[in-house]
Amino acid sequence: MLTMNKISKSFITDDVATHALRDIQLHVNEGDFVSVTGPSGSGKTTFLNIAGLLETSTSGEYLLDGEDITKLNDSGRSRMRNQKIGFIFQSFNLIPDLNLFDNVDVPLRYRGLSASERKQRIEYHLDQVGLASRMKHLPSQLSGGQQQRVAIARALATSPRFLLADEPTGNLDSQMAQSVMSLLEDINKAGTTILMVTHDPSLAARAKRQIYIKDGHVSELTNKNSNLHVVGEA
Amino acid sequence: MISLFARLELGPIFRALMRNKIGALLIALQIALTLTIMVNAIFMMQERSQQMARPSGVDEANTFYLSNTIFAQNYNTQTSMQQDLQRIRQIPGVVAATQINAIPLSGGGWSMSLQTKAGDDVEGTGAAVYMVDEQGIAALGVELIAGDNFHNSDIGWRDVGSTKWPPKALISKALAEAMFEGNWKTALGKTVYIDNHQPVQITGIINTLQAPWNGWNGVERSMLVPQQLDGRGSRYFIRTEPGRRDELMPVIEKMLAETDRGRIIRNVTSMEQTRDKSYQEHQATNTILLTVIIVLTLITGFGIVGLAMFSINRRTRQIGTRRALGASQWQVMRYFMLENLLISTAGVVLGTAGAIALNIWLVSTFSMSPLSPVLLLIGVVALLIVGQLAVSYPALVASKISPATATRGRA
Ligand SMILES: Nc1ncnc2c1ncn2[C@@H]1O[C@H](COP(=O)(O)OP(=O)(O)OP(=O)(O)O)[C@@H](O)[C@H]1O
Ligand SMILES: [Mg+2]
Repeated sequence: MLTMNKISKSFITDDVATHALRDIQLHVNEGDFVSVTGPSGSGKTTFLNIAGLLETSTSGEYLLDGEDITKLNDSGRSRMRNQKIGFIFQSFNLIPDLNLFDNVDVPLRYRGLSASERKQRIEYHLDQVGLASRMKHLPSQLSGGQQQRVAIARALATSPRFLLADEPTGNLDSQMAQSVMSLLEDINKAGTTILMVTHDPSLAARAKRQIYIKDGHVSELTNKNSNLHVVGEA
Repeated sequence: MISLFARLELGPIFRALMRNKIGALLIALQIALTLTIMVNAIFMMQERSQQMARPSGVDEANTFYLSNTIFAQNYNTQTSMQQDLQRIRQIPGVVAATQINAIPLSGGGWSMSLQTKAGDDVEGTGAAVYMVDEQGIAALGVELIAGDNFHNSDIGWRDVGSTKWPPKALISKALAEAMFEGNWKTALGKTVYIDNHQPVQITGIINTLQAPWNGWNGVERSMLVPQQLDGRGSRYFIRTEPGRRDELMPVIEKMLAETDRGRIIRNVTSMEQTRDKSYQEHQATNTILLTVIIVLTLITGFGIVGLAMFSINRRTRQIGTRRALGASQWQVMRYFMLENLLISTAGVVLGTAGAIALNIWLVSTFSMSPLSPVLLLIGVVALLIVGQLAVSYPALVASKISPATATRGRA
């Protein structure tokens, strides 16, 4: 599903180079649920951004679903994000001026689907997260947990193969965090590969596989599942 | 087609706009005001330009005139004027010269009413009167399109206080049409009446000769009569060979001043100067109107840039999120261009109503003519283009916002 080969990322600002990722070597199988933990500033978001094609690596090779990402241009990466990847953000990132229906509609329009198909998908996915009755509400009228569920509906509406979440429960209380986590587990059970950054060790432990990032290096924490392997630096 | 419209996002753009009405509304109003003023201002400029473009009928490039004021006592005005004209006509490069009582477009002159029937209570047609001799036509450079020019024997002297008119006249085509129901050819040979009762035969028709007053609605109606004013002040109108006017103006002035010291020669003026002076106010008004249009359009353009920049700054994370969800750079750019198109469309719709309302008011208050729909349409299209151009830079900035903004917030 996902293969990173010697992926490095450095940010150069004012002649100071920050090496956010160093020679990442990683393979994630289809259907995996991977949690990513590590100290603040260790490179977790950078790793997720590169995995989700939000940023490009400074060097290395990245294959997603068999496609060599380093060969894609900006619009190619946009299309790939739209078709294969779903995102869930720590602060939900719903568009405040649009109601829930229109929010879920955003990626579907970029996909160029017909109005009837979009409507059907929006209603289905909002129903899945239990918010179908609030379609005309604005995000500001919802609780944080509800907003994150809308964001999940939006991420799933395009039927992505791959779901990326950067601290999806970071802004939620523990009860809401639990419900979002079980939603993610259901999604994973249905076949979607998930990569989730979290600060919460108990949530991380619920993933099938845990990786740990420190100073830009990736290492494996536990190996609950036999169908995974990682080639990283310990 | 379906997928194209789906991707255009017009519905969501509109609904999002409705949640941020104030800024958009202000810009739409500004666009409306700009259109209202712009279209009417251009229209007023056009009307003035059309007025200025009307030919005077005079060979303006090669004609000038001067005034002759006699102060000496015991002076024979008639002989001296005849001598002056003879001397002027002998100068190489002079085509023709005449004494004249008024200058086209100069602002001052004579007018009389002409009637097709004699009588005190008969409706007449107003016409500017130019008193000239047999070189009048050649000196002015007007075109005789029917009949005959005056002969030397037709020319009579007219005392300053006299009310007697000569029996012949040449009239402009416009005057002939005004008097003979649009059929100027029938005017030739007809007798008309001046000063209620005095018969005048129309012995010729000239194509165009404007009156001294450019704002008069009968400015094209004029007549030439074979008379020379006998008085202590007179005006000579002179036409030179093409290109020799500027060279001959001082020569003739000097010659006249030196041959007779009983008078002074003043106000040596070319017809081109007279035209410029005549339309000075028109020109100034047009310049002001043009400046207003340009300034208004610039302010509107910058207003659009400002609002777009502000709203893009406010929506940085949202734009990053859209990019993360799969929007291409072009789709982000198009979002803001379409948003501007919606605002501008509201503005021009409102502005069209405003422009028509202002025009109706102008028409009824200043008896202007009604606005042409084509001009309105051009104004609408022009402002839509201005809007798109103004928003294109902010939209480009928006399209460069990195998708990573979605996870990192503002960089
Ligand atoms: N745009 C940038 N320019 C310069 N340095 C950056 C940029 N983005 C990230 N960094 C640096 O890269 C390193 C990794 O950052 P990253 O955001 O990936 O950390 P993180 O593990 O997600 O931290 P946190 O847990 O606080 O979210 C940090 O040192 C950070 O300062
Ligand atoms: Mg982070």
